[in-house]
Amino acid sequence: MSTKLRGLPAAPGVASGAPWIYRPPETDGVALRSITEAAESAAAELERLAGRLRDDGRPDEAEILDAQALMAIDPGLLGVAREREATGDIGPARAVVAAAEEVATAFEALGDAILSARAADVRDVGGRIARHVSGAPAPRLSHRSIVVATDLAPSVTVELDRGLLAGIALEGGSRTSHAAILARALGIPAVVCVPRIVDASATVTELAIDGDAGVAVLDPDEQDRDRLAHAAALAAGRRSADEAFRHGPLETADGHRVHCVANIGHPDEAEPAFSGGAEGIGLFRTEFAFAGRAAAPTEVEQAEAYARVLRAAGAAEVVIRLADIGGDKPLPYVPIPSEANPFLGVRAIRLMDTEPELYATQVRAILRASSAAQRPASIMAPMVADEADVAAFRRLVDDARAAIAGAPAPRVGIMVEIPSAVLLAEQLGALVDFMSIGTNDLTQYLLAADRTNPSLAGRQDPLHPAVLRAIDGVVAGGRGRCAIAVCGEMAGDPIGALLLVGLGVDELSMDPTAFGRVKRAVRERSITDLGDLARRALQMSSAAQVRAMVTAT
Amino acid sequence: MAEAEVEVRNPSGLHARPAATFVRAAAGLGVDVLITNLSRDPDKAVSARSVLGVMALGVARGHRIRLAAGGPGADAAVTALIDLVSAGLGEEVEGV
Repeated sequence: MSTKLRGLPAAPGVASGAPWIYRPPETDGVALRSITEAAESAAAELERLAGRLRDDGRPDEAEILDAQALMAIDPGLLGVAREREATGDIGPARAVVAAAEEVATAFEALGDAILSARAADVRDVGGRIARHVSGAPAPRLSHRSIVVATDLAPSVTVELDRGLLAGIALEGGSRTSHAAILARALGIPAVVCVPRIVDASATVTELAIDGDAGVAVLDPDEQDRDRLAHAAALAAGRRSADEAFRHGPLETADGHRVHCVANIGHPDEAEPAFSGGAEGIGLFRTEFAFAGRAAAPTEVEQAEAYARVLRAAGAAEVVIRLADIGGDKPLPYVPIPSEANPFLGVRAIRLMDTEPELYATQVRAILRASSAAQRPASIMAPMVADEADVAAFRRLVDDARAAIAGAPAPRVGIMVEIPSAVLLAEQLGALVDFMSIGTNDLTQYLLAADRTNPSLAGRQDPLHPAVLRAIDGVVAGGRGRCAIAVCGEMAGDPIGALLLVGLGVDELSMDPTAFGRVKRAVRERSITDLGDLARRALQMSSAAQVRAMVTAT
Repeated sequence: MAEAEVEVRNPSGLHARPAATFVRAAAGLGVDVLITNLSRDPDKAVSARSVLGVMALGVARGHRIRLAAGGPGADAAVTALIDLVSAGLGEEVEGV
């Protein structure tokens, strides 16, 4: 009988094959080579694999392997390994793995996000040198396989025979891990976060995965196979149909236009967003500038990052959101006492009282970037609760303008994510140029359901009629006063987007990958139909009912 | 004893590619050069030939580093590495 395990989709497509379980190299065997010899051959092998990735058109991953080649012959790492070998009663392979573990742990202890992410690369290098010590061959597939592992380093993915590597199923990982990004780039179907997949695969002869649905099927039967093939064909057809709409306008069948803009989290994402069909940047998250460092970024440093996005945008609007920093992801240079409820704590602009320089510097940096790019950026404040918050935010902007002579006047706006701001939409809308509804946090606050708590995941649906009514209220409150946008994940979900257009939202801001599917869905309906659809949804009693109704009509 | 300081202007500091470029250049000099991140830990010097050591210094954009070496060829080695860092280590570095 077949067993279905549900994980997360990481790379599209359906694949099946024998499960091939990847395990890190053994370290207890006979040593054929010295640590020095093994390190040199491991480095040469990594350089060769980097070249293969470069030929595949993957320079970013190739760089990771280039750096790993240098790590393999690092005098510090090899020094510790030789010492371990000489002083302990362990063989050279285990000595290298222990030394790599020591370095990786030290990286993780520094509290630097970039270095922590490199710890896995160091461990991977240690394992590779250990394999060269024992003279064991590189992992090899002998027939068409689904590679199963806890996580898979890029260096391992790339050395497996591409013709036999049908798919990847990981117990760990995430959509943004190296393994997932590389799988998508190479067109290999992949699922991640599949519980128990490593143990479960050990006893089966066949494994099928659906990289669009995020499902793994152990020992699939005829029926499973048919279902997966059908799903794969549908998904492929849907994707290519969506792509045809990517660069067109976001408009209904009868020509009602809605502004279609991108959510980005790093300056590097701006150019791809514009070449991928964005009419502007509706949400530029700036946490990247603050995370993974020991001291706050300087005004000049930030200004350079923001100016890059403004330059990529040309004349299009860019909405820069002030950093949403809070107790759930503490920074070494922003002292926030430990809080029982960080999401209800000293978060985002609430820090203006205790850390006034943090946001003053950021707003000056935005104005400085606007001056350099000779065009205003729009500035958005997160976590605004009431008129006092708007007033404090406006004061912050005015003070910064006084400090940066000649900076063009920015449009100012607020995130609507706290229920009080929903109820005060009319008052707040009169004080700003735009309001952008953050449906992820709004849903969490409105339904009192912590979005980091997996057992409440079922209560986290922005299609809930209460959330729809809140959005309806914000649109009504803002009408004639300011523009209304939505920048939560709901805007990138075709069903959510249909309802938002029907509710009268002016702008949808989403991940650029969603442009095609959202534009195609909206294009199929008239604005009158969507208005009716939204009115009916407001009267329903559950998110499931809303979803079923929109899908059926 | 040769010694000099420079500000790192690369967007990601001395991480990834710039770190690799720096370490490869240092390894080719035939002189042991020590590097210190003055903006983070002025008392810690590591070998410029160790990519792991250089990465662990956590050199970010805007940080100042000090390079030091002794013995024959020290001056030329430090100057060569300073020039390389000033020129952006093969990356484009720009101001606003």
